[in-house]
Amino acid sequence: VTDGQIRELCNRFFDAYQDRRIDELAEIYAPDCIVWHNVFGRETTGAENLAALPQSYRQQRRRSYDDRTIDTFAGGFVIRYTLQGVQHDGHRGALWICIVGLCRDGKITRIDEYMDSSKFAAWAGRARRAEGQP
Amino acid sequence: VRKDSEQLALCDRFFDAIERKDLATVERCYAPEAVIWHSHDCLYQARESNLATLRDGMSRLEKMRYRDRRIHVFEGGFVQQHTLFVTHANGFVGQMDVCFVAYTRDGMISRAYEYFDAGQLEKFLGPRSG
Repeated sequence: VTDGQIRELCNRFFDAYQDRRIDELAEIYAPDCIVWHNVFGRETTGAENLAALPQSYRQQRRRSYDDRTIDTFAGGFVIRYTLQGVQHDGHRGALWICIVGLCRDGKITRIDEYMDSSKFAAWAGRARRAEGQP
Repeated sequence: VRKDSEQLALCDRFFDAIERKDLATVERCYAPEAVIWHSHDCLYQARESNLATLRDGMSRLEKMRYRDRRIHVFEGGFVQQHTLFVTHANGFVGQMDVCFVAYTRDGMISRAYEYFDAGQLEKFLGPRSG
């Protein structure tokens, strides 16, 4: 597998995530894929991750995975990006995230996600509403 | 020519030096122009300021240990995932999962990005007193 193929897989994954193509994400995850989140400190299966997506997507009008900086290594990639979100009330927020992905045979076998939960309120616009602003 | 072993050695030298409280070696791991970005404030911290932060941590904390290190080397740098355990003066042992992405030149770290969950600071610093 070349660096270019791993980079392509990484972009395909984030494009599908952004465009809410869950069927394509299911193709990208290996059957034994594990997803770990630093915020929860636990692993979930790829299937569990996909099952949670419809509910997760309903929380924002849209999301985009921007400013992607991808570095590839033998068997995987590290990507740093800005997750931009538009809430249903129009509020725009951002989260800065880093993911380390492991790959095998053109599929993702493991994802380790690092983000900062202290920014969730600002991302969702809850901090602004709590201050009585529109 | 890509020399993965040199990147691995630099990564180990850097984190081992912090564990040993060997600031001189840490300084030598940083290139003169080194900047460190952190996910909690999304700002680049200048080399001297970062070294001051590390010096302060070395003097205040009983112990710093980088456990469960998983390292991958890529063209021009490395990424290390680890759990940082810190032993505070009052005996509390805090921990934080961290992802450290470093870009290197000439055997030194010139830029790094550190991601962690600032929402779990209490787990790292201990319950607030008072």
